[in-house]
Amino acid sequence: MQPDSSSAFDSPAAPTGSGLRAFREAALLLILALAALLVLDGLVFRIGPYKKLLEPDSTAGQFELVLRREQEAQREYGDNLVATFGDSRMSYYPREAAKVEPQTGYYLRQAGLAGTNARVWYYMLRDLDPTASRYRAIVLAVNDFDDEDQAYQDADDLRVVHYAAAHLRLSDIPELVLSFPSWTSRWEALRSALLKGYAYQADIQEFLDNPPKRRAYVQLANGGYPHWTWDFVDSTKTLEGLAIDWSTFKVTFPPNATPDQIDTITNFLARRPAPQTGAMAAFRRHWMGKIIDRYRNSRTKVIFIRLPRGAVVRPDNLVKKQSATIRDFARLPNVLLANEHAFEELEHPELFKDGLHMNDKGNTRFSVLLSQEVARLLGPPAPNWQALPDHPRDK
Amino acid sequence: MLFNTVQFFLFLAAVLVLFYASPRGFRKYILLVASYVFYGTWNWHFIPLLLTLTVVDYTAGRLIEKSDPRRRKLFLILSLGVNLGFLGFFKYYNFLASNVSLLAGKPSTWLALNVILPLGISFHTFQSMSYIVDVYRGEQEAILDPVDYALFICFFPQLVAGPIVRAREFFKDLLHWQPPTADDISRGIFQMTIGLAKKMAFADQFAKIANLYFGNVAAHPGGAAAWSGVFSFGMQIYFDFAGYTDMAIGMAKLLGFHFPENFRRPYLACSITDFWHRWHMSLSRWLRDYLYIPLGGNRHGRVSTYRNLMLTMLLGGLWHGASWNFVIWGGYHGALLAIERLIGRFRRQPVRWTVASWLFTFALALVGWVFFRAEDLHQSRQVLSQMFGNWHGHTLLTRWHTGLALLALAVAAIEEKFDWFEHLMTWPLAVRAVTLALIFFVIEVFGVTDVAIPFVYFQF
Repeated sequence: MQPDSSSAFDSPAAPTGSGLRAFREAALLLILALAALLVLDGLVFRIGPYKKLLEPDSTAGQFELVLRREQEAQREYGDNLVATFGDSRMSYYPREAAKVEPQTGYYLRQAGLAGTNARVWYYMLRDLDPTASRYRAIVLAVNDFDDEDQAYQDADDLRVVHYAAAHLRLSDIPELVLSFPSWTSRWEALRSALLKGYAYQADIQEFLDNPPKRRAYVQLANGGYPHWTWDFVDSTKTLEGLAIDWSTFKVTFPPNATPDQIDTITNFLARRPAPQTGAMAAFRRHWMGKIIDRYRNSRTKVIFIRLPRGAVVRPDNLVKKQSATIRDFARLPNVLLANEHAFEELEHPELFKDGLHMNDKGNTRFSVLLSQEVARLLGPPAPNWQALPDHPRDK
Repeated sequence: MLFNTVQFFLFLAAVLVLFYASPRGFRKYILLVASYVFYGTWNWHFIPLLLTLTVVDYTAGRLIEKSDPRRRKLFLILSLGVNLGFLGFFKYYNFLASNVSLLAGKPSTWLALNVILPLGISFHTFQSMSYIVDVYRGEQEAILDPVDYALFICFFPQLVAGPIVRAREFFKDLLHWQPPTADDISRGIFQMTIGLAKKMAFADQFAKIANLYFGNVAAHPGGAAAWSGVFSFGMQIYFDFAGYTDMAIGMAKLLGFHFPENFRRPYLACSITDFWHRWHMSLSRWLRDYLYIPLGGNRHGRVSTYRNLMLTMLLGGLWHGASWNFVIWGGYHGALLAIERLIGRFRRQPVRWTVASWLFTFALALVGWVFFRAEDLHQSRQVLSQMFGNWHGHTLLTRWHTGLALLALAVAAIEEKFDWFEHLMTWPLAVRAVTLALIFFVIEVFGVTDVAIPFVYFQF
């Protein structure tokens, strides 16, 4: 006999109590499994051994190395330390800056990393200076005190979850996730902030490919990184011969320009203006604002500097900038703005190696100028200051 | 909407909530609408095709049951004709056309049409045909409620890539539906998670190497590269398809349906016959019941048995795709089955599981995958010549890929020997939760998440 199909779904269910129990048990299973996953992830990637095995050249590995190097430097350098933050354009030489320390009284230490922005600096600073009191000043290097939106938005830069993966706390997640403008980025950020294994996936797979090789390189980097970075000498290439007609954006490249130089000149220096949406201002208000808030009642000053803008300076009239968040910050008690024109003398093709970065000569001159400008803003060092007779890294 | 995407999990969560929050009488309608929505997200243009086949087969089933024997046969032929006609047109037209063109000395595109293969057509037409044949044979009563029948055809967990469910299995669950037990739900969650891990952490990782190799065979000369590329594809296709099936079975369990097993650790097989008892079992069963046995099976002597095996496997190969490569793949397996049967006549005992028989079977299966994966016959020859004629070169497998494969082998061997999954289901909740967390962890660390790679069998 043909069963009545409708009666199957209409017939009385199994006892409701047992059905509910089944779903309660399933929910409990899932909740416990997710909790266990978080614990496991935390044990392995946050407090466990893996942080010490990160590939030194990766974003996360670089973050850890810089953090460790600067934590150690705090012990070595005494009370008049200044930490500087910026992306790859903040490429001064700390060893050159240290040479003027006997006159200025301040040591500048580089805590920035290539490809980072204020969001990464905030998480770096939180662990580098947990009491918000270890530095005389924090220097934040930007391209412009005014807010100019570019095609690429800092707010959408997911690298923060790779740089700072091991240092993100559960309580950071809502703010971090919502600081990304698109839902795709928010989902990526949520996943990687919650489960660090996602952020470290490529690193782990590479590690598993040859664990002894990784361990050896990590050991080498741990011992050598402070010296390598201290002794680093940049390229001597220049952009001599570069010219840009801003009315047509036509670029005359230097003779024998490399593909990298052409790429950075075309895409960064001679880029067309992007629509001004206010995204940059919002990003700065949020993340630089958080850094300033950390030091609101501290002895530490927050200094903004404008980096040398390029081998050729983009004319101001290309874009009508709608806001100047950093100039607004200057009204706050602990915030200082460097002289906007302090580094203009470096904005020449012979001091740049590509469309974005200064070369060896540029970095050397910038190091001294930066030290002097910071010292000018901070005034005389603490009364008990004494120049270190031999710089620790010069030994 | 791929099973390995966030969108799908949101969709599934919504379906589960709606399903269980609704009065029982509405539930099958919810499943039906959800299934059409799921299918529509791929390409809603093919929903009318799905509906047409549903109406044709539903009506044919009713007519076959009510009619006299002569007319019954007519309705059977009509229904099978419509199903095979649609399948033939969408799947095989261009293959036939290109071969006819080549025979006529014309360019292969001479008679070609721009035909898009409707998703899952090979699976749902086979399911429809099994229903019609079962009704004709009197093994299945015609379904009265068209909604029930439509749900049988388009039930979203298995619509696009199986397992191929028999009508009586599906309707037993649908018509006597009972809420899933705690054990069902626990198993469903585990099977879905294991399936996801198979797909994302294993299949998609091995896919990278397989695609690298088959994407440019000439760039990776040598036997080591060839064997590692083919091995990777062997891993990819198993974990991909088994992962999909596990997810389908798991989510069906959450909805109170029970699908048959589709894979039983096929790479642990000790013969090709054993392999086919473990690989894509729902298709093997379908081919046996609706092709091999009707052809005569093993009832008419040795030669006829070998012929039937060969024909069944050739058509099984062609079912996978319209190309000579699939025909050869089917023929290769048909020949191996026939040879094993022939050798078996002279053996006193069935093949015993030994490391040698296992490795040999695995190697035979890998050789078959060359035809399955290669772009064309030329590439198949190219790969085989590297596998057997050139012992140089470098493996494409990284150490951790090898580690993944060994991990999978260990898990499969323990399952084969100790049935760990069944034991796990009886363990305390906390232990199951930790085990589930470990599987999540494997997905977290090894799962390919930057792109959602489609399932291999979706193309069939």
